[in-house]
Amino acid sequence: MIAERLAQAVRDGIRQIGEVLILPDTAEAPFALCHHRDADQLDRLERHRSPSAARDLSTWAEDGHYRFTKSELSLRRGWLMLLSSAEELRTALDLFYPAGVGLWLASQEGTLDVQHLREKLDRQTGMYRFARHLSAEGAQKLVADVCGPAHCCVKRILWQLDSETPLVDSEASRFPGHLPTGRPAIPLLCREACNHLVAEARRASKAEADARHA
Amino acid sequence: MPIAPKPDSALLIVGHGSTENPDSSTPYFDHAQEIRDRGLFAEVHCCFWKEEPSMREARFLIEAEEVYVVPDFISEGYFTQDVIPRELELTGPTTHRHGKTWHYTLPVGVHDSMTDLLLRRAREVAPEVDPATTTLFIVGHGTGLNQNSTKAIKDQATRIFESGAGYAAVLDAYMEEQPLIADWATLAQTPNVVVVPFFIADGLHSYQDIPVLLGIEPEVGPAASQREVFRHNPHALREKTLYYSSAIGTERHMADVILDQIADFDLTHRS
Repeated sequence: MIAERLAQAVRDGIRQIGEVLILPDTAEAPFALCHHRDADQLDRLERHRSPSAARDLSTWAEDGHYRFTKSELSLRRGWLMLLSSAEELRTALDLFYPAGVGLWLASQEGTLDVQHLREKLDRQTGMYRFARHLSAEGAQKLVADVCGPAHCCVKRILWQLDSETPLVDSEASRFPGHLPTGRPAIPLLCREACNHLVAEARRASKAEADARHA
Repeated sequence: MPIAPKPDSALLIVGHGSTENPDSSTPYFDHAQEIRDRGLFAEVHCCFWKEEPSMREARFLIEAEEVYVVPDFISEGYFTQDVIPRELELTGPTTHRHGKTWHYTLPVGVHDSMTDLLLRRAREVAPEVDPATTTLFIVGHGTGLNQNSTKAIKDQATRIFESGAGYAAVLDAYMEEQPLIADWATLAQTPNVVVVPFFIADGLHSYQDIPVLLGIEPEVGPAASQREVFRHNPHALREKTLYYSSAIGTERHMADVILDQIADFDLTHRS
């Protein structure tokens, strides 16, 4: 059971995933979650008791923009989620970081398969079919420009350009999937490029084609 | 049709989602929670084309060995016939893959029970009007790329007209193909007009684009969840009285349609 394995991981010392701090055995609940930068002001935080509140809490950033990439470093602060069971903990974390726990558990047991960027782009159809024409140089630049903590994502990229071509070194390609807080953390894992990157690949591919024909 | 509990199975609701408007995925989470609360499945999850979790990530959420995949889409077409099977690696109604058995149902929008939902929504939005003096529009997106995308809407308009609900006319209309919803005032011959968007979510199209096409709004406004004042029916426009409803997918009973599609799947493929 994912919930039980998650609870065991927390008992074994896991305390963070993304920007979310995991607090076990609090005075108020078996598990509590808050923004990791709010750890020193728990008494002042707004209480939530339903794990489904995680969707609202993670939808909008502090500055009002829509966080369509949940692993963006922009989770709002000021809330404390009190959870009564491991199942509620899992439900809340799946809303903050969709499938993040399951992907990590699969990687722990060696069953997490990876799809490289070229395979992902090659399987696109419809309006995204054009993304497959992106050059290797263009793809490498795109990953450095779109992925990583400086842009919209703090996942650890597991894929390469193709099975023989690793990503060139960049902040995005070397990011470990967890923040440098010193707390034991569940890393956020990226097993294949997201559709946001595919959409950007389509745009970059068209720009390359336009430049060639200019 | 009541569905027997499936305590060893998972339900995976597939939605489109959006990188621009979070209201687009709200109904999917609402439908999932509604079904979760009924305790019919071991697990209920959502996955998306444009949001997280992606379809390829969905199997890492699911523990059950049997999974019912329900496309929470209005029509059969590019997404339900190409994108979802490709992304979930489905090869037919039932696929054995990644150690699980995946059952792939038809999209919610083509189920017969949608007719009752559309009628209910039309009555709710204009409870005081006489159907005999009213034209009911069922509005879809429409695209020249796939004829199937309008079939579900045409079928529903025909069923509603033949249902005995008494509407003077029930017409299908579209944002981007003929007949255009922008021409509603000339298409309708009655003083009252009810418009029900045949979309899953009150996202960009039904909440922001269609009101401009109808003339309710002068220009595209903010997302539903970002508005402080909600619109009020009716609207006196073009010498008619217009009632505009929320997208049909926001109807709470959509959860029942999802379950109906599963019951139909079992009847067709497993009995």
